Amino acid sequence: MPIWGRSILLKLENISTHYGDVQALRNVSLGIKEGQIVSIIGSNGAGKTTTLNTISGVLRASSGTIEFLGRRIENLPPHQIVDLGVVQIPEARLLFPYMTVLENLELGAYTPKARKGKEENLKVVFRLFPVVEERKTQLAGTLSGGEQQMLAIARGLMARPKLLMLDEPSLGLAPLLVKEVFEAVKEINAHGITVLLIEQNVFHSLSISDEAYVLENGRVVLEGEGKGLLDNPQVKEAYLGI
Amino acid sequence: MKMSFISRKTASNLFRPKFYLPLALLLFLLVLPILPRNPFYEDLIIMIFFWGALAAAWNLVGGFAGQISLGHTAFFGIGAYTSTLLYLKFALSPWLGMLAGAGLAVLVAMGIGSPCFRLKSHFFALATIAFAEVLRHVASYWRGLTQGGVGLLIPFKPRIENFMFHSKIPYAYIALGLMLLIILVSYIIRNSRFGFYLISLREDQDAAESLGVKTSRCKLIALIISVLFTAIAGTFYAQYLLFIDPDTVFSLPFSVELPLLAIIGGLGTVIGPIIGAFILTPLDVLLRGWLGAISAGLNFIVYGTVLVVAVIYFPRGIAGWLRTWYEPFLRRLPGAKLSLAIEKTVSSPLLTSETSDPEDSDPEDEEIKSPLFEAQSLNKHFGGLAAVKDVSFQIRKGEILGLIGPNGAGKTTVFNLITGFLSPDSGKIEFKGEAMTGVKPPHKVCIKHIGRTFQLVRPFNNMTVLENVMVGAFSRAKRTKEAREEATKVLDFIGLLEHSHSLASSLTIADRKKLELGRALATRPELLLLDEVVAGLNPRETEAIIGIIKAISNQGITLFIIEHVMKAIMTLSHRIIVLHHGEKIGEGTPAEISRDRRVIDAYLGEEYLA
Amino acid sequence: MLTIVLQLIINGLLLGGIYALISIGLTLIFGVLEIINFAHGEFLMLSMYASYWLFQLLGVDPYLSLLVVIPMFFLIGLVVQRIIIQPIIHAPPLNQIFVTVGLSLILQNAALFFWKADYRTVRTAYSTLCLKTSGLMISFPRLVAFVLALAIISILLIFLKRTYTGKAIRALAQERRAAMLMGINIYGTYRIAFGIGIACVGAAGAMLMPIYYAFPTVGALFVLIAFVVVVLGGYNSLVGALIGGLIIGIVEAFSGFFLSPHLKEAVYFVIFILILVFRPTGLFGRG
Repeated sequence: MPIWGRSILLKLENISTHYGDVQALRNVSLGIKEGQIVSIIGSNGAGKTTTLNTISGVLRASSGTIEFLGRRIENLPPHQIVDLGVVQIPEARLLFPYMTVLENLELGAYTPKARKGKEENLKVVFRLFPVVEERKTQLAGTLSGGEQQMLAIARGLMARPKLLMLDEPSLGLAPLLVKEVFEAVKEINAHGITVLLIEQNVFHSLSISDEAYVLENGRVVLEGEGKGLLDNPQVKEAYLGI
Repeated sequence: MKMSFISRKTASNLFRPKFYLPLALLLFLLVLPILPRNPFYEDLIIMIFFWGALAAAWNLVGGFAGQISLGHTAFFGIGAYTSTLLYLKFALSPWLGMLAGAGLAVLVAMGIGSPCFRLKSHFFALATIAFAEVLRHVASYWRGLTQGGVGLLIPFKPRIENFMFHSKIPYAYIALGLMLLIILVSYIIRNSRFGFYLISLREDQDAAESLGVKTSRCKLIALIISVLFTAIAGTFYAQYLLFIDPDTVFSLPFSVELPLLAIIGGLGTVIGPIIGAFILTPLDVLLRGWLGAISAGLNFIVYGTVLVVAVIYFPRGIAGWLRTWYEPFLRRLPGAKLSLAIEKTVSSPLLTSETSDPEDSDPEDEEIKSPLFEAQSLNKHFGGLAAVKDVSFQIRKGEILGLIGPNGAGKTTVFNLITGFLSPDSGKIEFKGEAMTGVKPPHKVCIKHIGRTFQLVRPFNNMTVLENVMVGAFSRAKRTKEAREEATKVLDFIGLLEHSHSLASSLTIADRKKLELGRALATRPELLLLDEVVAGLNPRETEAIIGIIKAISNQGITLFIIEHVMKAIMTLSHRIIVLHHGEKIGEGTPAEISRDRRVIDAYLGEEYLA
Repeated sequence: MLTIVLQLIINGLLLGGIYALISIGLTLIFGVLEIINFAHGEFLMLSMYASYWLFQLLGVDPYLSLLVVIPMFFLIGLVVQRIIIQPIIHAPPLNQIFVTVGLSLILQNAALFFWKADYRTVRTAYSTLCLKTSGLMISFPRLVAFVLALAIISILLIFLKRTYTGKAIRALAQERRAAMLMGINIYGTYRIAFGIGIACVGAAGAMLMPIYYAFPTVGALFVLIAFVVVVLGGYNSLVGALIGGLIIGIVEAFSGFFLSPHLKEAVYFVIFILILVFRPTGLFGRG
């Protein structure tokens, strides 16, 4: 189905978020259509993670609205937002280090909806990430960086997301693993899951994105078609200051 | 005839409310003991002074330094038992016994203080409880020494040298004297370098260390002073009641009541403990008499409820609440003068650092004889992760060296290795020709003229802007007046002078970043490490701070800056080094770096330029 | 000699089981909510009285009263968490310490007010019953208490390992932010964890009644032991609390016999301080 025909899954309108009295987001508006891969890029401190945390309910927006499938979610507690199908894979993965891989995955399927399809989801997840199945009885804290990232994404998938939000999945990974991660993201999207991606690796993320937003100092300064932005000189300037 | 024995200034000061109010209070206290005609009230007054003294002593370590001791009864008991045993067994005057008790308490505190201060707050509290309990058991069961649970009775032989009197009035004045002494000590400390250091380490221990505060030593000194007075109070108690037993002088409830007085009165303030004593002691006596008569325990129920409610809803205590209207109230009283405007000093070169040379402004002209700072093959692992791998670089005097790299590249780790928060696994660090590898704790690095700021700003929230900077200034100035002058100059330099008396917590983020800068500047660094100073600021604020950084560099201070905002670091830096995955992948001028393929790869991704 | 040592070990283990049960509640609360419940001992005291009154008024055997006491104290835990603990969950440690200390003061003196300072005991048919095997004497009530304590601890550990709520509790203790992102209701889980912690100490109280006696400050005695156990075992390890409890029980038995019944308390305080200073994470604790 062509992009313009799809429905809007997530819509942020004029979202501002504060940490105490520090304003981290200023009037951020963005829209994500069903089935898309959307990227948010920008240098560190620009507000990318803050955006995800505001969507997830970990932070409360000081003004503005967030709609998911037409429903207002900006005032819901985090666990209800997960139940609706908005799942975040946090930066630094935040696995449960003293639990096994399998236990981590089971915890991913904590919400009532997710629990029902648990066995089925496990199969899907094992197929996508065979290394996770191999290590399923190992303690999560003992996995390598790349394996942990796969597990973190797998864990997120167990929650049966409609929208999967990934915060810097390629962070700290060797180039080969980075390729694998992005392949996995593409495959997840091919399954019908909408993806919101925050990435430092501009090339990879823009190459696979339908749309992208550039954030600077908490503000959206540029938006457009993913691959198109690769040629945009403003992007280079935002990252390298040239 | 003009008054020649009092200066004009002193005479006029006497009429300002800031002076005559406390003076009036003092006179009131001095007169109080002789007012009552009733032994009940005489006793009450003695108890108020007694508890005030104890609470003020506890406040030194619990309020100022923020170390929650729930075992102060240990030292109270040591004081009581030492003087009593020395008197009963060796007929040593309790006055001397009091000094012996205080001395013993100090020795004990020195022994257990250092290891216990390493513990986190909850565990520190637990350790102090345990320690006091051990002493109680020892006192209970070492009958040979202490007569155990039976306790010790002091025969009443009222003579001055026996520290016993017929009338209650001398006791009242002794207790008052003790309380006033501790309050005086608290007041002197509060306005001294030591006091600033205590509060700073309570607010943020790491930030304090980075400003040259010897946190461990300060905590210990606070504890020593506190237990000294607590033990003296113990002797007083023994001499007043003439009976002590382990359950009374080594009592856990006692340890809990002490902090309560300080909390209700106002933790960490000078006058708080007195307020607490004046309110809670009569309340306690009243409750005990009224409710306790109805049924045992009822008074403590009320007490406990007061504690819970006060801590949840009024954590700053009465003094904290008073503070908000005390100043305006003072101004309305007769004799009040408007506070003097802060004199703006002329913006002259800020630093008089011994090695700075104003003529020498362009570091690239200088021959590289020996660099100001050199790191060689630094390595740091965390578990299996190599955070910093074989990183070497030099910093030339007077330059601004930028440090960039993607998230997780190891930049802040490098800072921590230099400033004493972490030790390198291997490698060398040299500053001004002196070996500085693995120098710890951080205050030592600050003393050597290396300063730093933190990525997430860490102001001392309960101190004013001026006081924050003074903590830094105290690393070079010993006296409060000097520190204040120095701090004022710094605040003028960075443009925060008008906020001098605002609490740090009330500043905007841009001003907090400036404050962090100013605080570090006050330590007169020759090398200043800035960690993401620009992050989170809007364009105007960014420009302002860049201006300040340039001005700092013009003063001759060498700068080493971590930054993500590329525009900022490209304009500021003379040279830049790039870290990625813990390794140095590039070094050169901003122009060179922005063309470096490896650097572009690291930030934008390998295939970007393809 | 061997008989004496074995006897001491048995006595120590039996009592250690109860210590373990008290301490596990404390560890759970600290591990999940990160506050030290200075009022823990008072809940023990309250459950001892609850068991006492159930016996006095309704003739319910203390061990049977567990069926009532456990759910009752779970509910009490939920309520206390909601009203008193929740407001200070993000407060600085000073405030947290004094709220639970204040609570302890209130509960102790409420007990004093309502029930006076008299010692209360429960005398059942088996109170003094002793089993004798190969020269060793095993107190029946202590044996039952031991078995029940281990049973409850085992059920708790299985609950935490196998059920979703249990896993949520463990997840919350290990990585709070991630737990939020899993769809776990953080505040509800805090409540349940606290409730379970109080239920454990409530159970321990009921089991203590046939062995010990109740009075308003009895909690203070046991809670200090519990603190030693928690610190010894590792403040975030439940297994550590179990093993630590058994160890302390044995240490107490031995020092009571070889040193003096009075000095045994001094012994475990010394252990306490030594661990805090030299190995703050305890035997099984994790960094």
